[in-house]
Amino acid sequence: MMRKLLILVLLGVLLLGCTQQPTQPAGKKEVVIGVIGPMALPEGSSEKNAAMLAVEEINAKGGILGAKLKLVVGDTKINPDTAASEFRRLATVEKADMITGGFSSGVMNAMMEVMAETKTVFLADASSPGHPAMVEKEYDKYKYWFRISQNNGTTFAWDMVEMIDFLEESGYSVDRVYIIRDEHIWTDAVMAALKPEFEKRGIEIVADREVGRGYTDYEPLLLEAKDLNADLVMPILAIAGTGDALAKAWGTLKIPALLAGHDLAAIDYQFYDKTNGMANYEIFLNDGGALVTACPTDMCKKFVEAYKAKYGHYPESHQAYGAYDAVYAYKIAVEEAQKAGEKNPFDPDVVVKYLEKHDTKNPIVLTRTIAWHKNHALVWGDKFVRNWIAQWQDGKQYIISPKNVANGELKLPPWVTK
Amino acid sequence: MIDLIMRILVYGAVSGGIWALAASGFSLIFGIGRILNFAHGTFFVLSAYICFILAKDLGVNLFISYIIAILLVGALGVVVYKIMMAPVRHHEVMVIIVTLAFALLVEQILLLLFGEHGYSIPSFVSGSMEIGGVLIPKTRILAFFVSIAVIILLEYFINRTRTGKMISAVSQDSEAAMLVGMDVEKLFMITMFVSASLAGIGGLLFGQVFGASPIFAVKSLIYAFAIVILGGLGSVRGSIIASFIVGYIITTTIILLGSRWAEFVMLITIISILIFRPTGLFGVEE
Repeated sequence: MMRKLLILVLLGVLLLGCTQQPTQPAGKKEVVIGVIGPMALPEGSSEKNAAMLAVEEINAKGGILGAKLKLVVGDTKINPDTAASEFRRLATVEKADMITGGFSSGVMNAMMEVMAETKTVFLADASSPGHPAMVEKEYDKYKYWFRISQNNGTTFAWDMVEMIDFLEESGYSVDRVYIIRDEHIWTDAVMAALKPEFEKRGIEIVADREVGRGYTDYEPLLLEAKDLNADLVMPILAIAGTGDALAKAWGTLKIPALLAGHDLAAIDYQFYDKTNGMANYEIFLNDGGALVTACPTDMCKKFVEAYKAKYGHYPESHQAYGAYDAVYAYKIAVEEAQKAGEKNPFDPDVVVKYLEKHDTKNPIVLTRTIAWHKNHALVWGDKFVRNWIAQWQDGKQYIISPKNVANGELKLPPWVTK
Repeated sequence: MIDLIMRILVYGAVSGGIWALAASGFSLIFGIGRILNFAHGTFFVLSAYICFILAKDLGVNLFISYIIAILLVGALGVVVYKIMMAPVRHHEVMVIIVTLAFALLVEQILLLLFGEHGYSIPSFVSGSMEIGGVLIPKTRILAFFVSIAVIILLEYFINRTRTGKMISAVSQDSEAAMLVGMDVEKLFMITMFVSASLAGIGGLLFGQVFGASPIFAVKSLIYAFAIVILGGLGSVRGSIIASFIVGYIITTTIILLGSRWAEFVMLITIISILIFRPTGLFGVEE
């Protein structure tokens, strides 16, 4: 009798063991997620908020392989030295298993060296094509780096060219473009890709003006654009941080040229108010492939509402989608590694292997559809992540192209007639 | 060509006006007490944020918001002087250190509360108009006329009022002023109030044209410092004239060479002038 009882108890324990899914690898009680970025900017704060949301959601469902997630935060202050030391702190002191964030290609270079040294999986935010080129050139050293937030800077050029093609198709002819861009490495890559495309289309760049961080005197530039009969003022601005001042000057002076390009500040849902409504009709690239008013996936729709419920407002920059996806992508890779029987699914080399499996044939559908090239750059395209062409119209953001995701139509400012 | 010259004249004058307010306040407190107030740029941006909170968040009348912002910043200037500067006033390096520390502290607080991207300060005017064929936002025109009015008032205050004359006396010889019975400490506080208020007005005018951001604190301090050195340390009139010179240099460079060269050309010009005239345009050797 006693023997039968013992066998029953033993079977019960074994059965319980089988149902206790997922199992956690020996010694792993906590998964540390690092988020790093310029925390005084919407780009950094939204990354932190979004990563926190993902961590809480995953923890509510049992964590990753039973281990709870903990979020640690580093502030780059858009300074390469600070960024490198903060990355090192997250990787070595906080012992982050994965770090997400970044922002600013120059700062990213500094962090990638620490990443390589500490072998930390880094799902990153920065657009210079130089970073995936480093992965390609020295794979073993830089393989831990994956781009998650947006496409390569060169794709901004493709999307801006498509923006011009779209304007042409909509009846607005673009022949003379006035460029205002960041005095920064990332815009050089954009310009290199943009120029031949303009030449093919017979578009003349009437001026190419570079501005530094915090630059505000846009009126003389806009008046110059007017003098040069530009029909399009094209901002390529992220680091300047003063896209609001540009939009304000353009709307106030009513420059007879469209304001259309890549103005990172315009993605901020508060941008319209910050310009006192002068951003009306500004056309911008919806960098990062998602917009509150036009979410490409169901997860994106749930995410933006959850974000608003938690923080009282929608994501203040597109980096939020990247950071949120980063935590889930990491979870998926670790769980796939565990399922495949890897001894330590949290090993950075193992995680890299399983992230790499998500190419165009096997994308991950998160807030956007994520797939990586061999050099770990995000795959660009209508079915993946790309910069939608969007416009501010009476205080609301609308995607106006491509047609398969558009939820609004192009509206020209009344003072621009052509 | 005439269009370009007109544009330089109009935009240069407007920029010069705003910087004249910031620089004259900086110069005023240096003139009286040899105080290099590195928190001056902080007063410049703080007024804009105070106005933004009052007008946008609390719904206070815009004119009253502007006035309260200026008075609060002026009062803060006095508090900072009493608590931080006065105890170390005779040690110039210590003054720089404590005011710089205060400026960095406020900048971090603003970054935490508002972030780095700008906020647009509401203005009394909107739209644009043409002056001599040059299209210009009305916010810039407002900034120019208010700046000129404040500069005239400042000149009147310093040269025509009893308090202003006493401030001038202290700036020439504080010990002699004390010996003839002037309350030098009180005059320092009045000067600090005026100095911070001038920065505050400059910040408001700048904010309603461009927006408010913590990064403008450093920018305005650098501009004010450069202008004051060019005008001659301690010379308010020199600072005002130097502000317009700087305004024209920056605008001319932006229009003719491009924006990336503006600050470079401004600083090269200032250094070149200082080589030939080390005391600045209106400074006197001590």
